[in-house]
Amino acid sequence: MANEPTKPSTADGTTSQYRSHVTPPDTGAVRRVAAFAAGAPFTALVAAVEVALVTAALGVQRSAAPIAVGLIAFSVYAADHVADAEGDADSTPLRARFALRYADQLMVAAAVSYGLAVALAAGAGPAALALALVPGAVWIGYATDWLPALGDRLAPLGAVSVPRLKDVFLLNSAAVALAWAVAVVAAPLAFAGVPVDSVGPRTVALLFAYVLIRSFVDVEIPNVRDAAADAARGVATLPVVFGVAGTRRILLGVDAVAAGLLAVAFATGAAAPAALAALAVELAVSLAVTALAGRLDGTALGLAPDGSYLVAGVALLAIGL
Amino acid sequence: MAALSPLSVALLVAVTVGLAGAILAWRERPEPGATWLAVLLAGQVWWATFLVFELEATTLPAKALWYDVQWVGVVAIPVGWLFFALAYTGYDRYVTPFSVAMVSVVPAATVAVAAAGDPGNLLAADRVVRETAVGTFLDVVPGPLYYIIAGYTYLLGAVGSVPLIQLIRDDARPFRGQSAALLVGTAAPWAGSVAYLSGAIPIPGLDPTPLVFGVSGVAYLLALSRFRLLTLAPAPRRRARQLVFEQLHDPVFVVGTEGLLVDLNESAAETFGVDRRAAIGEPAAAVVPKYDAVRELDASGDDKPRAIRLVGRDGQRPYEATIRDVVDDHDRTTARVITYHDVGAYLGQQQRLNVLNRVFRHDVRTETNLILGYAEQLRSDPTDERAMSVISESAERMLDLSERTRTAGELFDPTDESEWRPLPAVVDEAVAEARANGPDARVEVGEVPTVPVREVLVVVLENLCSNAVRHNDGDAPWMRVDAAVADGWVEVTVADDGPGIDPAEYDVLDRGTETPLRHGSGIGLWIVKWGVDHLGGRISFDERDPEGTLVTVAVPIDREPSEAGGDGNEAPEPPADGPSTAGGSVSRRTPPDAGR
Repeated sequence: MANEPTKPSTADGTTSQYRSHVTPPDTGAVRRVAAFAAGAPFTALVAAVEVALVTAALGVQRSAAPIAVGLIAFSVYAADHVADAEGDADSTPLRARFALRYADQLMVAAAVSYGLAVALAAGAGPAALALALVPGAVWIGYATDWLPALGDRLAPLGAVSVPRLKDVFLLNSAAVALAWAVAVVAAPLAFAGVPVDSVGPRTVALLFAYVLIRSFVDVEIPNVRDAAADAARGVATLPVVFGVAGTRRILLGVDAVAAGLLAVAFATGAAAPAALAALAVELAVSLAVTALAGRLDGTALGLAPDGSYLVAGVALLAIGL
Repeated sequence: MAALSPLSVALLVAVTVGLAGAILAWRERPEPGATWLAVLLAGQVWWATFLVFELEATTLPAKALWYDVQWVGVVAIPVGWLFFALAYTGYDRYVTPFSVAMVSVVPAATVAVAAAGDPGNLLAADRVVRETAVGTFLDVVPGPLYYIIAGYTYLLGAVGSVPLIQLIRDDARPFRGQSAALLVGTAAPWAGSVAYLSGAIPIPGLDPTPLVFGVSGVAYLLALSRFRLLTLAPAPRRRARQLVFEQLHDPVFVVGTEGLLVDLNESAAETFGVDRRAAIGEPAAAVVPKYDAVRELDASGDDKPRAIRLVGRDGQRPYEATIRDVVDDHDRTTARVITYHDVGAYLGQQQRLNVLNRVFRHDVRTETNLILGYAEQLRSDPTDERAMSVISESAERMLDLSERTRTAGELFDPTDESEWRPLPAVVDEAVAEARANGPDARVEVGEVPTVPVREVLVVVLENLCSNAVRHNDGDAPWMRVDAAVADGWVEVTVADDGPGIDPAEYDVLDRGTETPLRHGSGIGLWIVKWGVDHLGGRISFDERDPEGTLVTVAVPIDREPSEAGGDGNEAPEPPADGPSTAGGSVSRRTPPDAGR
């Protein structure tokens, strides 16, 4: 022990001297910070980079969209980690402990973050404001008991039980992916005040479909890590239903569809080539992660899918945009 | 979108802080006031957000549109404020769907008018876009509905502030801090609104109210985080205090300075059979038991507690009355709280300890000395029959004393509710015991009504009947038991023609305590007294003519639960009324021919 006394306690129960020593870094604190950073802040950074990539791909002017979406991602995920801290104790114990211990502080940070994001959006106009409210609304429907409570109120006899979206097979991942796709693709347009027509509906549709599909994969990959905990809680996910190998095959197929969408975008010149190249790098990383699903450890599996966007962001910067 | 104006930036700061506060407040549901605080803050955020759109819009129709949309937030604020203040401070009984609907009528009508395009220019008589140094504003000339909703907003704001201002004077620092932060958060926009309506703002069209929502938001955030606004809400305190008052086992009356009854708790209503609704407002002397005696005790300034015997649901019990002044912040007495504490169990325990101590120290010691002395005599003369007889009698008395002591310890446990039995069965059992003790005695039983009484009465009557027979030195001892029912009580009399009871015994029982010099003999009469006390009854001793004793025991009979409390029936007075004493339930009546 670091603070072990050099001699036994005195007769009156007090200790008088301690051995001189160098205190090692508080690994507990470091681990807590790492757990925090690997949680909502990491997701926020990924969201911001993703919006920046799409901004480049759409060819619209830069705006506060990446910051706003990053703030929203932070607040939604921080709130989600606090709300489900006890349920996450098995799959992400460190993050769950951090969320339990600093629940109030995290919620204040999440609330201020969301307020700031909405303020940024309001400054960008009504469309951006409406967009900023979507993730919050989706999260309320997705993770809270609001929908089940409403269902119980509408059907008090219990004949119809409305579950949380988070607990519905495929719909849970699809809802998250949809929210991400809407935020990531629409935010650059809304914050820049650019109508869809001026960019081109086909470009927007291709990017939207791409982000939607990629986000679905990004949501399901960490479910491989959470399979045991999800199964114990009765939550159906791809790994729970089809097993790890089956999930790997399904997600590789989905990524293949995403690759096809990128190819179409390249072929038709629907988006800026540099941005598409960066997205291609991201897709390559994602394919590698999907192929390794079930072999990477839990932490890596939680970070790797989203980390692919950071690689793509670096690639985009390297290309010179 | 072009660069934002400084005013818009200030408003967005208010949006940030306000929305953060609203989310945190919403998270605290169902804490008292959480939902309504979220509504209040959401209203502020709504107003500020759409004011940004109005400021940034460039055309009159666009500005007018965003101006009309703002009404949703504008009218939500006072409604949220009022119901937050009521729920947060514990006046949640006023927060009902009906009251919310009623309070929301004017705001809803205002929003409807705005949504309908302000027909008849009710909200705005005229709208003009004005270019100023700080931005382009929509200058609105208020219509009649504008002033109505403004006045209504001020009214709701004032009503909601009243309970919060009360909290500022609270002893608890957190509540003072919470209240102060809330009032600052509310006063800031109010000040802005007053400045706007009074024309104090030099820039036409600039309503500074939403601009200071940032101050409100910071104050509310401070209250939420620093003063734990919703996690440490004072709302339960009013309920808790009311609950304590209502659930207090002791009967409590609150008497105003004019001598009228202001309040009483459930225990008081039940114990003394008082109809609460009818009693409040009545003169205290007509409702509060022994009110004048209690006031006299209080006026005497004697701090020594004294018991007052009162008749309530459980019969006659000794109560210790306490009077406390209710004092306002200016040290003025506004009412007096009279609390009756049932000390019957305490007094009974005290008496039992006192008597048992005497029995051990005096009676047992005396008998033991007797046995030891005669045992020594037997050593010298083993054929001494008298010594053997004395030892035997003494040992029997000790055995009898031991049995009675056990009875006293077991039967009169205040926490033990004995069964109800018909009075004839109780009398038969007691009489059978007397017959066993005195086979030669003439025992008569008069008319005994079939009413339910507590089983403890068996012990009381057994002792009285046995004493009547055993302590009668006559050749043909006689005793008679009669009973009669009157007004919820049964009066059982045990008459004998014996030598009578020594008045010293009465005195000791009457006083309730023994001293080394003044004490009773044995424990039998004490058991009788404790039994009667336990039953909430009273006992009296009379001398018979020409000789003998008449003991009257009055105890309450079983009454239906509906009669027991709160139905307006007065608790019956015991038939044998005597002077109420602190000592207990014993009284001595002087017979008409007691001059001998």
